[in-house]
Amino acid sequence: MSSPAATEGDLVARFTETFTAAGGVLLLGPVEAALADLGEILRAEGVAALFFPEDDAAAREIAEALVPFGPFHLTTGAEVRGGSAAVTAGFRSAEAAIAETGTIVETSAGGRTLLPGLIADVHVSIVRAASVVARMEEALAGFTADPPRNISFLSGPSKTADIEQTLTVGAHGPKKAIALLLA
Amino acid sequence: MGGRPLMELNANAFGRNSRKALLDKTLQEALGRTTGRFQAHRDAAVAAFPEFEATRERASRIKRDVLDHLDTYLARFIEEAEKRGAVVHVARGPGQAREIAARIARDEGVTLAVKSKSMASEEISFNEALQGAGVTVVESDLGEFIIQLAGEAPSHIIAPAVHKTREQISRLFERHLGEPRTDSIPELVAMARRHLRAKFLSAGMGVSGGNFLVADTGSVVIVTNEGNGRMGTVLPRVHLAVVGIEKVIPRLADLPTFLRLLPRSASGQTISSYVSIVTGARRAGDPEGPERTHILLLDCGRSAILEGKYREILKCVRCAACLNACPVYQSVGGHAYGWVYSGPIGAVLTPLLVGLPEAAALPDASTLCGACADVCPVKIPLPDFLLELRSDAREQGLKAPGEIAAMKGYAGVMKRAGLLEAIERIAGVLGQFFTKGKGIAGLPYPFSGWTERRDFPVPAARPFRKRWKIQRGVTR
Amino acid sequence: MPYTTGMDPKEPIPVSLFFTCLADAFSPGVCTATVEVLERFGAAVSVPLSQTCCGQPAFNSGNRKEARAMARKFLLSFPDDGYIVTPSGSCAAMVKHGYPVLFRDEPRTLTRARAVGERIFELSQFLVDVLGVTDPKSDFSGKVTYHDSCHLRRGLGVVSAPRKLLRAIPGVEFVEMEESDRCCGFGGVFSLKYPRISCKMTERKVERILATGASYVTSGDLGCLLSIGGLISRVGYPVKAIHLAEILVGKTGGLSSFAADAASVEPRPPGTVRWAGGR
Repeated sequence: MSSPAATEGDLVARFTETFTAAGGVLLLGPVEAALADLGEILRAEGVAALFFPEDDAAAREIAEALVPFGPFHLTTGAEVRGGSAAVTAGFRSAEAAIAETGTIVETSAGGRTLLPGLIADVHVSIVRAASVVARMEEALAGFTADPPRNISFLSGPSKTADIEQTLTVGAHGPKKAIALLLA
Repeated sequence: MGGRPLMELNANAFGRNSRKALLDKTLQEALGRTTGRFQAHRDAAVAAFPEFEATRERASRIKRDVLDHLDTYLARFIEEAEKRGAVVHVARGPGQAREIAARIARDEGVTLAVKSKSMASEEISFNEALQGAGVTVVESDLGEFIIQLAGEAPSHIIAPAVHKTREQISRLFERHLGEPRTDSIPELVAMARRHLRAKFLSAGMGVSGGNFLVADTGSVVIVTNEGNGRMGTVLPRVHLAVVGIEKVIPRLADLPTFLRLLPRSASGQTISSYVSIVTGARRAGDPEGPERTHILLLDCGRSAILEGKYREILKCVRCAACLNACPVYQSVGGHAYGWVYSGPIGAVLTPLLVGLPEAAALPDASTLCGACADVCPVKIPLPDFLLELRSDAREQGLKAPGEIAAMKGYAGVMKRAGLLEAIERIAGVLGQFFTKGKGIAGLPYPFSGWTERRDFPVPAARPFRKRWKIQRGVTR
Repeated sequence: MPYTTGMDPKEPIPVSLFFTCLADAFSPGVCTATVEVLERFGAAVSVPLSQTCCGQPAFNSGNRKEARAMARKFLLSFPDDGYIVTPSGSCAAMVKHGYPVLFRDEPRTLTRARAVGERIFELSQFLVDVLGVTDPKSDFSGKVTYHDSCHLRRGLGVVSAPRKLLRAIPGVEFVEMEESDRCCGFGGVFSLKYPRISCKMTERKVERILATGASYVTSGDLGCLLSIGGLISRVGYPVKAIHLAEILVGKTGGLSSFAADAASVEPRPPGTVRWAGGR
C-alpha cells in the first residue's frame, strides 16, 4: 500500500478519475477557461439562480462572473432555505478533496455554511489542486482534537436506486456535482 | 401522513410466509433483479480492490477490540459527545427507549419529525412512540418513504422498497401526494424530492440512525446516498440520533477502514455519495445546525448478547451483503423473516434479540451454504451461529417431538452396522419391487415435501456394504 | 501433513474408505467406483464395515446428542493411521470441522477427532493433492458440467482438483456453468423442512445446467446430485446427474438411483410440474 509519495499531478489525476466515477463532473481551471462550459452545464440543468457563501471570495468571484452566461440571477442561501422554487446552483470552496474516493470535503469549522452542497440543485465546488490528499485518513487527520459540528464527505451527486433498482440522481441533495479544479 | 404499523414479530410464521413469497410473481421478479444487481456490483467492487481481504481482517479486529472493551469505549463516546454539547441518553430496553424518544419530542416542542434510515429505531417501534406523543413522523429515505405510504414494513436492509414496482409506487404517489401518474422513475424521484424538501425545511426535528459512533471524538457518522441524512442533521432545530451501542469504533482514524468496506459490500460503490460526521451541537458562530443534539443509545438486548457465545454478531455494520448473497433470502425476500432484520443476519439476530422461542423457525431457514460468511465485511461466522442456534433450540425444548423421535430412531439404527444393513436390504427389496428402479414419486411425511416436485431415489437392491462383502469375500 | 505424497507403486498407500450412508443405501456404484479409482492409483483400500454415518444430519439440525453418538462410533470405526478417503465433500467437512465443535467439551475425544480430521480427504482432493494424479485414465465420454457443492468448495476449499481431473479426460468436453458455486438447495434436512424453497433453488441450478448444453452434471456430493437428479427425473430434462467418482472410473449412464437404463425413461415435456409456483 505504501508507494513513493504521489505528486500533486498524480493526485489530481486520480481525483479526476474517482470523482467522475462517482458521477461528478470535473472542470479544469483557470476560471476564465471554465466559465463557458460551466455556464452551459448550468443552463442544461435549467438553473436560474446562483448563490454562494458571503465569506467565500472565490465562490463569489465565480458566481458573479457566470451571471452573463445564463443569464442567471444571484440569490442567497437564506432565500433558498426559505423555500424558493427556483432551480439553483450553489458555489462553495472546498476545504479539501480526496483522490482515493473522489470526495469533496466540507466542514462547518470557522463558522462556514454548508448550504450550497446541501440544498442547491447543482453544487459547484471550488477545489485547489494543493488541497487534494491521497486517502481519507489524511482528510480526517486534523480533526480529532477539536472536531467541528459537521464534517461532510461529498462524492458525486445525490443518488438513489430505491425504485426498481434503477440508479437515479437527485434524491434529496444536488442532482449534479461539479468540481472546478484550480491551481 | 399515516404512521407505520407496529413492527409485529412474526418470525415463526416463516414457513407460511415463505410459501406465499414463492408464489408472488411481482416479488420474485423484484428480488431477482435487485439481489442479482447488488451481488454483481459488490463482487466487481471487491475484485477491483486488492486490499479488500486485509481491510476485512483489520475491521474484524477493530470490532473485536471494541466488543472486548465496550463499556470503556462507550463511556468515552458519551464523555466526548457531551463535552461538545450533545445530550446522550441510554435506553436499556425498547419501552424505555420509546419513553425517552417521546419525552425528547415533547420537551423540545416538536410536532413534525423527518427521519432518515435507522434499523435500530424499527426495533423499538420508534415512529409509533413519537406519534403517541403527537408528532408526525415522515420517512425521508426514498424506499422508506414509499413503504410508509403503503403502510408496510421494509423488506431489505438497504433497499426497503425492493418489492415494489414503479406502477405500484406511482399509484401510491397519486393517492397520497396527489401527483399525476407516470412510469418515469426520474419523475417519481423528483416528486418525492419536492415533497420531502418541504418537510425538511419545516420539520422541528431530524431523526437519524448512526452507522458508526466514534469514541475519541463523540461523533455520530451517517452514510447515505440520497443526502437525507445530511439534511435531517443540519436543517431542523433538533437532531436526534438513534443508535445501537455496538456501533462504536475507537477512533476517527479507524473510520476509513469501515468506509472502505461498507459501501462496497452494500452496493458495490467505492464510497457512498455522502458521509456526515456530526459531533455535538451547533457551535457558536455556525450559520446552520441544530440548536439541540440528542443521542439515544440503545442497549435493547445487546449487552446480553455481548456476554455470550454470539457476541461476534455485534460486529455487524448492516451492509446487507449477506442478504444479497443468500440463496434463501433471494428466493423469499425480507418479509418472510417476520421482523426488522432478515436474511442471514436476521436469522441470527432476531432470535437473539426477541428470544429463540419467538423465532426458532429462522435458524432453520438456511442450507448452511456459507455464501454469507464469504461476503461479510467484518467476518462474522454466520453459519456457525445458525448451527449453534439450532442446537440451542433442541436444548430449550423448542423442537417438534416428531423430529426428536426421528433423530433418536436414526441414531439408534446407526449404532449397529448390522442393523443398518438389515434395514437397507429390506428397503432395497421393497423399493425395487414397487418402483422397478425408477424414482419414487410420492412419499409420506416427512419426505412428502421432497416428492412434491422431485423424485426420490430408490434404495439400491444391495447396499454397498453387502456388495463389498460379496466381491471381496470379507466378512468384517 | 504427516504423510509424504508419493506414487511409488511398490508401496501401496493405505487408505480406509469412508463410503457414506447415503451412497451405501442409494448409490452403491459411487462407492465401488471410488475403490476402483483409488486402487488404480496405488492405494491399498480397506473398508471398515462397522462404519455407519458421520452424524451430519443430526448435527446440522441441532441434535448434537445424537450426532455425538454417531461421531463416537465413526471415530472408533477407523484405524489410527493411514488416509481416510470419502466420495463426499460434506461428510469430510463434517468430520474435519463439525467434530471439533461436537467435542469441544471433551478433550480426549477432541484430540482423537482432530487427529482423524487431519487424515480425512474427499476423493478428488486426495487424488490431486496427495497422490499427484494428473490424468484419471478414464474412458468416460460426454459433455460434462460441474456443480461446486457448498461444503466441498467453502468447507474444504476444493475448487480446482475436480476440474483438473475432468479436463484431463480425453472423452470429456468440460463446460463451466454460471453460478457453479451457488447452493443447489439440498442442504440436508433443509430439503425436508423448507422443501419449496429448496426446490426453487434446485430449479435455478438445473436452469444453469441446461444452459450449458451438457449431457451430464457432476459433483463431489451425492446429496446435491440426488436433489438435482430428482428434479431432472421428475420433469424429464435431457441431462443426467452422475457422481464424479463414476466419471473418473469411466462409466456412462446416470446415477443408478433414478433409472436403471437412462434410455428407457420417457422424457416428459418440460414445464409440466405439478404446482403453480413462480419461477
